Formats: sequence, C-alpha cells, structure tokens
Amino acid sequence: MRKINVLTLAAMGTTLALGLAACGGTAGGGGNATTGSGASGAAASTAKYNDGYTKVVNPSDAKGGTLKFALTDEPDSVDPGNTYYAWNWDFTRLYARPLMTYAAEPGDAGLKLVPDLAEGAGEASADGLTWTYKLKKGIKYDDGTEVKAADVKYAVARSNFTDELTDGPKYFAQYLDADGYKGPYKDKNLDDFKGVETPDDYTVVFKLKHPFAEFDFLVANPQTAPVPQAKDTGVDYEKTVASTGPFKFESYEVGKQLNLVRNTNWDQATDTTRKQLPDRIEVQYKQNAEDIDSRLIAGQIQVDLGGTGVQSAARAKIVGDPKLKDSTDNPFTPFNRYAMMSTQVKPFDNIECRKAVQYATDKVATQAPWGGPLGGEIGTTAMTPTTVGYKAFDLFPNGADHTGDLAKAKESLAACGQPNGFATNIAVRGDRTKEVQVAEAMQASLDRVGIKLTIKKYPSGDWSAQYAGKPDFVHKNNLGIMVAGWGSDWPSGFGFLSQIVDGRFIKPSGNYNMMELNDKSVNDLLDKGIQTTDATARNEIWAEVDKKVMESAAFLPFVYEKTLIFRPSNLTNVYVHPAYGMYDYTWLGVQQ
Amino acid sequence: MPGSDPPGHPGRTIVVAFIVRRVIAAVLMLAVVSAATFAIFFLIPRALGQTPEGMASRYVGRDATPEAIQGAVKRMHLDDPILVQYGRFAQGIVAGQDYSLGPKKAECPAPCFGFSFNNNQPVWPTLLDRLPATLSLAFGAAIVWLISGVGIGVISALRRGTLLDRTAMTVALAGVSLPIYFTGLVSLSVFAYTLGIFPGGGSYTPITQNPVMWFQALILPWITLAFLYAALYARLTRAGMLETMSEDYIRTARAKGLKESTVVVKHALRATLTPILTIFGLDLGLLLGGAVLTESTFSIQGIGKLVIDAIRGNDLPVVLGVTLFAAFFIVLANLIVDILYAVVDPRVRLS
Amino acid sequence: MTAPLDVSGQAMEAQPEAVLEGVGGKAIEGRSLGQIAWIRLKRDKAAIIGAFVVVFLTLIAIFAERPFGGLIALFGDLPNVPHNNLIDPMTSAPKAGWGGISLEHPFGLEPVNGRDLFARVLSGAQISLLVAFLATLVSVVIGALLGVVAGFFGGWVDTLISRLMDVFLAFPLLLFAIAIVGALPDQALGLQGNGLRISVIVFIIGFFSWPYIARIVRGQTLSLREREFVDAARSLGAGNGYIIFREVLPNLVAPILVYATLLIPTNILFEASLSFLGVGVNEPQASWGGMLTRAVDYYQIAPHFMIVPGLAIFITVMAFNLLGDGLRDALDPRAR
Repeated sequence: MRKINVLTLAAMGTTLALGLAACGGTAGGGGNATTGSGASGAAASTAKYNDGYTKVVNPSDAKGGTLKFALTDEPDSVDPGNTYYAWNWDFTRLYARPLMTYAAEPGDAGLKLVPDLAEGAGEASADGLTWTYKLKKGIKYDDGTEVKAADVKYAVARSNFTDELTDGPKYFAQYLDADGYKGPYKDKNLDDFKGVETPDDYTVVFKLKHPFAEFDFLVANPQTAPVPQAKDTGVDYEKTVASTGPFKFESYEVGKQLNLVRNTNWDQATDTTRKQLPDRIEVQYKQNAEDIDSRLIAGQIQVDLGGTGVQSAARAKIVGDPKLKDSTDNPFTPFNRYAMMSTQVKPFDNIECRKAVQYATDKVATQAPWGGPLGGEIGTTAMTPTTVGYKAFDLFPNGADHTGDLAKAKESLAACGQPNGFATNIAVRGDRTKEVQVAEAMQASLDRVGIKLTIKKYPSGDWSAQYAGKPDFVHKNNLGIMVAGWGSDWPSGFGFLSQIVDGRFIKPSGNYNMMELNDKSVNDLLDKGIQTTDATARNEIWAEVDKKVMESAAFLPFVYEKTLIFRPSNLTNVYVHPAYGMYDYTWLGVQQ
Repeated sequence: MPGSDPPGHPGRTIVVAFIVRRVIAAVLMLAVVSAATFAIFFLIPRALGQTPEGMASRYVGRDATPEAIQGAVKRMHLDDPILVQYGRFAQGIVAGQDYSLGPKKAECPAPCFGFSFNNNQPVWPTLLDRLPATLSLAFGAAIVWLISGVGIGVISALRRGTLLDRTAMTVALAGVSLPIYFTGLVSLSVFAYTLGIFPGGGSYTPITQNPVMWFQALILPWITLAFLYAALYARLTRAGMLETMSEDYIRTARAKGLKESTVVVKHALRATLTPILTIFGLDLGLLLGGAVLTESTFSIQGIGKLVIDAIRGNDLPVVLGVTLFAAFFIVLANLIVDILYAVVDPRVRLS
Repeated sequence: MTAPLDVSGQAMEAQPEAVLEGVGGKAIEGRSLGQIAWIRLKRDKAAIIGAFVVVFLTLIAIFAERPFGGLIALFGDLPNVPHNNLIDPMTSAPKAGWGGISLEHPFGLEPVNGRDLFARVLSGAQISLLVAFLATLVSVVIGALLGVVAGFFGGWVDTLISRLMDVFLAFPLLLFAIAIVGALPDQALGLQGNGLRISVIVFIIGFFSWPYIARIVRGQTLSLREREFVDAARSLGAGNGYIIFREVLPNLVAPILVYATLLIPTNILFEASLSFLGVGVNEPQASWGGMLTRAVDYYQIAPHFMIVPGLAIFITVMAFNLLGDGLRDALDPRAR
C-alpha cells in the first residue's frame, strides 16, 4: 500500500534554466542558474538538511557510472502514454520528450513551463480554441529517424482514444474537439482524428471544444511524447518504447527491472532541461521498503524512485543522527490529505455542523499517521503550498496548537441544532493504514464534542467507482465524512481544484467532488480563470476559488504532505523538483 | 510390510490400472476445484451486488469514461452468462486464447489464465517467474525441517521421559503455537537489524544471479518456516516411534537378538516414516502453492506474495490463477503420495 | 497437534485413527473411561497449567468489556483512546523508553497514536476466542454429522462424503479465506460491519476445517458400527437415526472433544493470520493479528508493539495445545 497511485500529480518536465548552462554541457555547468554550492564535485559533504530543496547539491558534470533506482511497487506501465504515477511522469522524461516541460530549477522557478519538443510555448488563437506548437527540427528517435508532427498526433490519439491504454489521464479526450473519433486501434486512418491537425511535419495544432488557457500544462503530460504509428504495439509498446530522451531502453522485464543506456541520437543542443551523465540507469521494481532505505543509506542505490520517503525505522534513525539528517530533504509533495463532508448527508447539509467538525478536529492527531511534521505540514486550505496561485489562510482556527477548539465546536453544534452532538459515518480506504489511522484519530477527536463516528472501510480499488465516489452509495450509507487525498496533474489552481470542487464534475460514479459542493460562484470562477490568459490574474482567481471552497466548511484539510527523502553522498547534481516533489531524475549523476 | 512386492509380480497391471484411475480422478478433482474457484470469485461478488461494469472498472484506470468501461466489459465478455465465462476460462487454460492489446492481437498460449488487471501481463508467465523463489523457500525449509524434525522426534522417543525429551517436546509445542509472522519478525529484528548477521527482508536474490546472496538471504526464512514444521514433525515422529516400538514385530525382532540400532533404524523408523513421508508430500505440495505468510514477512517475491498483492489490488485473474496453481500442487502431491503408497503397499490397491 | 498456518494443516491429523484407536475402548475394572481419564489428566501438570490458563483467558475475554466497561475500565484506559502527547511526532514512537511501559500503561503504547496496549490486548482477546470457539463449533457440528453418516452408512454415501473431503482439502484454504473476506461488502445478509465480518470468518474457518473432524469421526464410526451394542440396538428394532444419535455419537464424545480442543488453537492462529493479512475484523476494534500488522512498520523502533500481541497469541495457543495434548493422552492409553 505504498502506492501513491491515484492522482498523480503533476507535471512533467524539468529543465533547468532555459538555455543556460545545461545546453551544450559546458563543463562545470553544475552551477547553472540555481544557487549551487560553489566548486563542483568537491562540495559533496557540506550539504545540509533540506539543501536539495533550494539548490543543486553535489553539482558535477562528471559523466559515467551506473545510476541505480529502486521501487517498492511496479509502474502501471513504462509507456509514457499509459501511466498515471507522478514519479513515473518524472522518470519517463529520461526517454520521452513531450511538447513542453518544466524548467529544471528548484523552488518556484521550477513550476514554469519551457518548450521541450516544441520550439516555443503554444500559440493560442484569438478565440482560444486552437493551440499551435512548432516542433524543433532534427530531433531523432534512438534509431536515428526524425520525429514528425504526425507522431505527436498519434501519441495523443492512442493514449486518449483507445480502450486498451487505460492507465493514463484522458484530458485530451475531454478537451479536444474530436467527437465520434474511435481511436487509432479501431480506425487506422489517422486523418479521421480531427482533434489534432498537422499541416506540415513540424506543426501540431490542437483544436479545443472550449478555451483552455493552461493548455501548455496539458501538453507537458508525457502523453504528447511522440510515438511512431508503425512501432506501436499497444499495451506491449512499453517493452519497445522509441526513445527521444538522453537514455534508451536496453532491457525491460515487467515488474522486475528496467535498464537504460545512453541514447546516442539525443542531442544536448536541442534540449535545455536534461543532462546525460550516467552511462546507464538501472531500476529495480518490487523491492522491500526497509531494504531500499538501508541500501540508500549505504549508498548501494541512489534513489527511491517512488519519492515517497523513508520508512519509520529509517526516519527514527535519521532524526537521531544529525549527519544522516544532512543527507535528507523534506519537500512538499503535490498531495493534500483531507476529508470531505458530504453536503447531502444529514446533518452535514447544515454548514454549522460542518463547522463543528472543522473546529473539533485535532489536527496534530491527524498529522501523526503521516509521520508527524516530517510527513506533512498541518493544512488549512484546499490547495497545497506548491500549487501555483496558493495563498495561506485559515478560516477555522482550531486552537493555537491545532488540537481543536472545543468551545467553538460546541457553539457551532448548538447553532446546528445538535448541541449534544450526533452520529455519522466516516469512510476510508481500508487497505491504507495511514488513512485508517486518520479516521481513528478523527473518531477520538470528534468524540470530545459528542460527535460519534463509525469507521467504514472500503477497498481502494473500487473506492471511487463504487463507494465514496458514488453519491448514491454515499447517501444511502450515510457517509458523512470521507477521508481522501489529491495531487493535481499539473501544479496550478485549476489542475488542482477543478476535479474536486467543480459542481458540474459531480459524477454518478468515479466522483472526486465527494462533498458534492455545487456552488455557482465556484463554478463560474473556474470557468473565468481557465479562460483568462494573463497568468497573474488567473492565479489570483485560483486563490479566490480556494477561499470559496473553504467557506463551505465541507473541505477539511489535514496535511500538505511532505516526504523525507534520502540523498546518498554519491548522488550528484541533485535537487528537488517542485512540480514533482521529488528529485529531478533527468539531472542526476553518480560519483564513481 | 513396505516394499514386499517383488519386481515382475503379476500385480504390475493392477498397479498401472490403479495409477490410471488415480490420475483420472486427480484431473476430475482439478476440474471441480477450478469450477468452484471460478464460482467463488465470479459468482459470489455478483451475488453480493457486483456488476460487470464494476468488475470492468478495475481493469480500466481511474477516471475511466463510461464508454471505456463498456469497452472493457465487451472486450472481456464480462456481461456473458457465468457459465459461458467459465467455458472461456477453461478453454483458455486448455487451448489458449487471444487478447486484444491494441493494434494487434496478443496470443496467450495454453495454459492461459488471462491477463493481470494491474500490469496487463499474462498471468501464467508471471506465475512461472515467481515459482523459483517459492521453490527455493519450500525445498530449503523442507530439508531443514525433515532432518531436524524427524531427528529430534526419534531421539525424543528413544530417550522418552528424560529431560532431553521433555525439553524437546516443550520447544516443539511452542513451535507449533507461534504464528510464523511473529517468529519471522522477531528473527528479522534480532538477527538482521540488531545483530546484522543475516540480510534483512526483501534481500532474496535468484540463485542464477548470485548463489551466495541467495543462500544468505534465505537462511532466516528457511529457519523460521522450518521451525514450525520441525516442531510438528518432531511430535509426529515421536508419537509414531513410540507406537511402533510397542508393536509385536519389534518385540519379536528384539527377541531374535537383533542389535538395538538395527531394530530402531531398520524396523521402527521405517514403519514410522511411511506416514510421515505422506504428510511431508502433502505439506510440500501445499507450500509450493505459495507460502503466503512467510513470503509476506520476508518480502520474498514468490507465489504467495504475488497472490496477497493481487488480492489487495483486486487483481482477479492473478488471484484465480494462483489459487488454481496452488490447488494443482496439492492434488499433484496427493496423487504422488497415493501412487507411492500403492507401489509400496499392495493392500491399498485392493481397497 | 496443531495445524501450522502456512499450510492449512491437513498434515497433522493425517493418521488420527491410528493414534486414537482404543479411545472408545473397554472399561477397565469397573471404572468408567471418564474416571480413568480424569485421574490421568490430574497427573499431567502441563495439561493442568494449560487448563488454568485457558480458563483464565476465557474469563478475561468474557469480562474484558462487560459488564460496566469490564476489566478494561477497571484498569483505567480504553482501547481506542489516543495519547498523542505521549508520542514523539518525529519518530512516531512513544516518547518514554521501553515503549512507554508504565504503571498506567503496563504493556506500553501503540506508536503513532499512543493507544494503550493493555486495553487493546484484552479487547483483542475477545475476538480471538470468540472466533475460535464459534468456528470450532461449526466444524464440529458439520464434521461430526457428515463423519458419522459416512462411517455408518458406508457405500456410496461414504464415497461421496470422502470425495467431498478430498475436494475441501485440495482447496488452498488460506487463499480462499483472504479472497472471500477481502471481497466482503460492508453490509450483507442483514448484518454489517464487524458483525458481518466475524460471522463470515467463523463460517469460513468452520466450513473448511470440518473434514479434519469428519475423518476422525468416520474412522471411529466404522469400527463402532461393528460392535455388539449396535447390533443389539438394531435387533431390538432401533432405527438408523436412533442408533446414530443414541448409540454411536455418545461414544464419540471423547475423540470429538479432544480434536475440538486441538482445533481451537489452530483457529486462533487462523483468525490472527487473517487479521495480519488485513482481512480480519475492522479497526478500531483491536485484534491480535491486526496489531501485529501495524507492528510490521514499527518493529525496529518500537519492538514492544510486536512482542505484546505476539506473546498474547503464543500464550493462548500454547495453553490450548497443552490442554488438548493432555486430554488426548488421558483418553488414549497408548499415546503415553
């Protein structure tokens, strides 16, 4: 259950300072635009706790060596068009280049998009309904053939319009104007796909149903990484991915091991965001979590691919050892951990009863299961701090130490007409220990004001299809509170919020707006925001939406998730990429 | 007495007929088990309100559109009557099946157990892939427990009532009273993480890759698993020995003036071991279908770990595949034991 | 002999007939079999200790939470009350050494949320024993009935029931149990929550372990039906039902009792395994196996969290095994 599956986050790319040092691999480039700790290489041992969060640690341009990753789980697929894990969106960039990607910088600068396969950012038409991208010329696959615009079109078609590739998100199917298209597996003629047009070999034009100002974020998804139609083998394509990045497949054993080697047809001159330092990259799947930690600390492997942080045993060890602690970073992940109160389940149809829960919750107790302060910062908003547009505020202060304001809770209960409390259910994914522990903590903390919770456990596999994501079921079973988590697919307010707060997204099944909040002002603001082309104005709107959502008192944030990730001393060029909340995998090198 | 059937005896055809009969029975048994298994996993969820769409939604990722779910229902024929689905499943096992993987059909040769919901890989190769880990664990542990369990049982029986006997039997009783995941965790905690003598959980390495690592990583799991069985076998052996030692023919043997060691080894032990070996066959068969608890505790990627992960991830085809695979080993072990018995002891055939 | 868990254990009772032969045997010197057995049992110190522990634990389980909050309330802390202030948030382990063991918390605290382990172990005892007793009852009822029918009537009835036993024994029991319990909805059959789960677990364990009892009963019945008193009853015109329930079954009480006693610890282990694998009773209800699952993540930093429930299981199972062994030895003159 260490999967982060669902909702992954964010975006893809990386890059470093746009055309600066990274290009051309000028020696000593480790410093690049970011702070860097002076002399390359030598500085390894001076790095401090959280240094990787603000600058590049162990900068080095030394090539060679084998970079080793390990993962407790296995990916849904390593096909860039068929995966929905944040870490995999980070990792696939090693061999797949989407149209746009994120700047390779720590801190907020890394949330900016830069062109990758494309020459520049997308150009929107005046009506906002078409977005045009020009491809860089001379980008090649690992077999030496050139990337054509049609390959990008095909990649979008296969990943969004087929029944077979089911693992990735379907944003393009949702936003592109391609009704009636049956997908390239049923309809071999790509010309029938009208959602994307390719007037020439280097131009890709997306046709939208509605204006969508953040389209650049969508094309930063690995699903726009080109796939030659002739080479596509559907679900099996993951075994023979045509690489455009600095590394290519050497061998892949599903569920066991992936080995990458340098792709000689990748040209640094065309790529501003990646490096090509190691000779080879090895990934082992299905490894034991404790074992990964001890191998990391011993420097036998370099990265825990999942980026979920060390286990409790290693955490305790690290906390007690300042030297070890200096080899860790504690970044935010894109995840918010929260509960939603159903506005359609009595007595939560009354906002005062929802407020009572907001005030009575002991957020220190609900923080504990995530690993205390190292596992998450106590949250008070719907958006997370690393989301573009985030503003801090707290509408329901629950005591100076966040352990609950029982007096205010009782006031709200009285206002709700339930002065002695009430009974309701709290739904939770039963196979996720941490979430069950959160539910237990809620149970104990609400009990203090007479609100009696019964914990209902449901399997996570069907959680959204059949249980908490099915309003009918929620109403019938009186699921007043549902414990959930969300990480956005791209780090903007819209990417984060639209799926979980837009009243028009309340679906009969697979619903993520579990509070069933359908507030016209929220919906309208979302529409206004996504059509606002000016980024600053747009981001203001997202903060406004956040505030409106919190005003409903139906959204109960627990923690902005953080992870404690270990950075072995032989790992070079390492920094936390803010879009993923884990290291930038395309930058890493290994000291030999 | 065992082994008294001389070669070339006219009983040979009877033996062959017996074997044929048992093999047919075993195959029938597997068919029944497979049908029952299929029913349990497909019929019971349906009876409890699961819909074909619900099952299909496990196969398509999150955020699946209703069309995608319908597509999966159609593609996997989840809306067919349950009997038709079973027919297709059985046909897949016997004759193989084709699946659509996108632009082309993928052939899933017999025995085809379908594709995993989670990673789209065919189930059968995955099973075979996990088998070596389980084999390593089961056979290694079996050797340890057979030798130590029977050895301790014999010594205890011969030294009946002594301090040695009582200590051994107390330890054995403790052994069968300890849950394996508890002994496993304690041994990991002490020997791997505190003393650092053995590698920790998840360090299993295939023997082909590194025999030394393979051996080191398996020592703790072997001992943990074997402890439980050794305790059991020590108790069984001791009870069996005590019983045979009081039989008339042993007394006769002694009266004939045979050496005590000959009596013990040639007569008593031999008679005791026959039922123990029967049990051993069955135990081993059961373990080969996956040592769920041991593999979970030590993070060994064997069949047992595969199935527990599959159950947690609602990966029905894998669960179904492993269950049948495990049943296969149990039936096979039963068959082998039956046949060996028949060969050794002619009376069985006549019954 | 108990069933090991990884196996579901047909192993151990493979030759029960041999071991148990003579249980229904002749009375010696006018003393009833029961009297002899009682005398033997009293001499068996281990069995007596086992019996005491069993009685003690059963009482604890019965009175753990009732009446008036029961033993748990008597000692102060409740099983579901967190003590976050006693936990170090950075490590998730109890702040005080030795797992937070103190007078108020004699078994220490659970990592992360600081719940009192003493209260949780007591609370878990109820689940363990309840499930084990009920499941054993189910398998004894089914096993005894089918076993006696098979042994008594013989012929195709015997063949049918014996084949059925073979099929049941060919099922990888643990896998089935996990899969079925794991697929359980929250509500079904008019039950919900833990009530439903406990019922289903009881039913599954009982339903799949009846063949062990049935085999023994069948073997005993086979020899009993040839005995004079059965013939006598029949010649007096007694029907099959009368003979089975009045003549045969009463003579099988002893072996059934022995094997039921030996099945209980197996079932305790079984329930704990299900909980350990995450398909037992739902939190926050405590269960020993469930506590061990959570201990997996913390056993390196809070070993007491693993040791406390582990020892609880061990002591309970051991006590039942000692008692069961003693009973068997007492009833079977040749096993000593």
